[in-house]
Amino acid sequence: MRKISLIIKREYLTRVRKRTFIIGTLLFPLLYMALIFGTGYIAEKSRQNLNVAVVDSSGYFTESMLAKENMIDKSSTLSLVPKAGPGFNFDSAGYDAYLIIPPLNWAKGDSSLQLKASKSYGPGSTSIVEAKLNRIWDRIKNDSLDMDEAKQVVFSSSRLNLHFTNTTDPHADAKTANGIGYACGFLIYFIILIYGSQVMMGVMEEKTNRIAEIIVSSVKPFQMMLGKIIGIAMVALTQFLLWIVFVFVIYNVTKASGGNMSTTNNLVGSVQAIFTSVNMPVVLFMFGFYFLGGFFFYSAIYGAIGSAINEDVREAQSLSFPVTMLVIISIVLMTSAIQDPTGPVAVWASIIPFSSPIVMMARIPYGVPGTVPYWQLGLSMGLLIAGFIFTTWFAGKIYRTGILMYGKKPSWKEMLRWAFRRN
Amino acid sequence: MALLEVQHLKKYFATQKAVDDISLTIEKGSIFGLLGPNGAGKTTLIRMITGIFYPDEGTIRLDGKPFDPVNDVRDIGYMPEERGLYKKMKIGEQTLYLAQLKGLSKSEATRKIKEWFIKFEMESWWNKKVEDLSKGMQQKLQFVTTVLHEPKLIILDEPFSGLDPVNSNLIKDEIFNLSQKGATIIFSTHRMEQVEEICDHIVLVNKGKKILDGTVKAVKQDHKENLYSVGIDPMISLPEQQRPFDVVHSEAHRMIVRIHEGNKPNDVLQYLLQNGAAVNAFNEILPSLNDIFIKLVEGTPVTRQFQNINA
Repeated sequence: MRKISLIIKREYLTRVRKRTFIIGTLLFPLLYMALIFGTGYIAEKSRQNLNVAVVDSSGYFTESMLAKENMIDKSSTLSLVPKAGPGFNFDSAGYDAYLIIPPLNWAKGDSSLQLKASKSYGPGSTSIVEAKLNRIWDRIKNDSLDMDEAKQVVFSSSRLNLHFTNTTDPHADAKTANGIGYACGFLIYFIILIYGSQVMMGVMEEKTNRIAEIIVSSVKPFQMMLGKIIGIAMVALTQFLLWIVFVFVIYNVTKASGGNMSTTNNLVGSVQAIFTSVNMPVVLFMFGFYFLGGFFFYSAIYGAIGSAINEDVREAQSLSFPVTMLVIISIVLMTSAIQDPTGPVAVWASIIPFSSPIVMMARIPYGVPGTVPYWQLGLSMGLLIAGFIFTTWFAGKIYRTGILMYGKKPSWKEMLRWAFRRN
Repeated sequence: MALLEVQHLKKYFATQKAVDDISLTIEKGSIFGLLGPNGAGKTTLIRMITGIFYPDEGTIRLDGKPFDPVNDVRDIGYMPEERGLYKKMKIGEQTLYLAQLKGLSKSEATRKIKEWFIKFEMESWWNKKVEDLSKGMQQKLQFVTTVLHEPKLIILDEPFSGLDPVNSNLIKDEIFNLSQKGATIIFSTHRMEQVEEICDHIVLVNKGKKILDGTVKAVKQDHKENLYSVGIDPMISLPEQQRPFDVVHSEAHRMIVRIHEGNKPNDVLQYLLQNGAAVNAFNEILPSLNDIFIKLVEGTPVTRQFQNINA
């Protein structure tokens, strides 16, 4: 036991102390924040105030209505222009765009207008004009129906909204559950691929460095493999905990500073919504379980592959391809499971060990035991534990032979023979 | 008393009998040479002795007790032929790690590392990385990590490959030193001149079987071909009649002779003196281990692989 802990300590410290780990851990949340704030900022910046000429053929639009709207929202200007001849140039008259309102026909209900300009403008700019036109249009409709204030309130409030509630788990909100499910599934997917290949490369390094035989003359090969897997799992866990701490700190700082940017408010609001709408302790605990379970399940196989290959990275790719394929299939199954979290594909893919870490994590935010009954969760967890014990045992057998074997790349068939050999 | 007793050890792989019924005994404090061409089964034999492989059959006794791979690693120091270190890890840390894996406590390991580093003038290496060292320096470091925990049994596979003569001698002296302090050393190599110089006892294996076992002296005696070198000045022509030897090779003032079966060296001298030859030198030529090795291994398909290719 003491020897395994020595190996775990070495694997952990050499990785955590590496500059790439520190930079990666710091940079990822910063990039993430930059993405969120940056897109908001760029959208804000790229919005232009348009000066629009309105040519009215319907006779409903009046100068006073436009002026009133222009007073309320100054981000764009609408001005009524008398019907001009074909030679009239909007650009030289100082307008960015013009719009012609055709003679209106109530029965036909034609509501599509053309905004024309000599340049292109993004939806951020035109949507303001559209909103303004619609407010004027509402007023025109109200006026033509002779509606007073009270009638107008009744008319505009008559919209029905459908909201979904899970009766067994009132916390589960379908929309946030969907988002959390996606996030968890993809995180586990990335962990398995990134840290799984770290296990593979680590084992390969020990083999090509020729230090493997020196280590196995002190410890059992199985201890050596297990120490590496656990050490790297702890590196992944550390990175996660740091990220959670970062998010927590950033969240509290932005909340405390009460930023006036609408994107900040949206972010704080949505984080708050996530924490209140989903059973967070269950999700976090299960994430920890499936994260470790999935990692152990796959990294043992990646370790075995690392022990079988030599210096050549192409050998690593060709041997690990089938395993990587399983991970990718899992993420495909996950995207279908998240649309229909109680369907047969979702249920079985979340129980079978190779896909369960990713698929089950997409289902759990929808609610336990509402969407995921206890028997499914229990079976899935039990099978995953059995699964990673099996892959670790199996990989240990291959590892023991492979780590001391130099020369040509073995096939999967040969590796299976190593695994089931008596000694 | 024997430190290591190996009885009828067998290890068969899918395609070959790597070790096929080998028995040997190694005395405490001796330097033991394990010889054999590439692929003879040396490494497999060593891996069983170090607990890396389990034997299919046979027993290993270490220091009078059955060998226990888990607990006896503390008593064994093994430097494999395929050796290496973590390239990116600091030397001090790495040495400490390897010593702790052998079962030393941190403080004990630190103290011993410092002693050895001073002895080998490696004090300034502590915070350097292995990739900063030359190959010879790495070998020195490798040797230190092998013997640091003061094992009773030290197994060295080609310890001098890649070393210059100065560092070679440094390691050689240290091997004698450790042997004097009571450590038993198994020395596996192809380099026969080193074996003659260092080893007390040798075993030659080929194709998984032991084909020679004895002290260096006895082995040479067993394989001598009754060759003598005779110095005669001035050289005269000798009559064929009643000559008790054949001339194998002859030079201006010297010839090499093989004494006929049943004759003694004295018969040669008598014959020479009777014929009036002025003998100024007469000595026996014992075969070198190299010759014996080649003679015994030759004719088997693996012979052509007999060369040092790990450098």
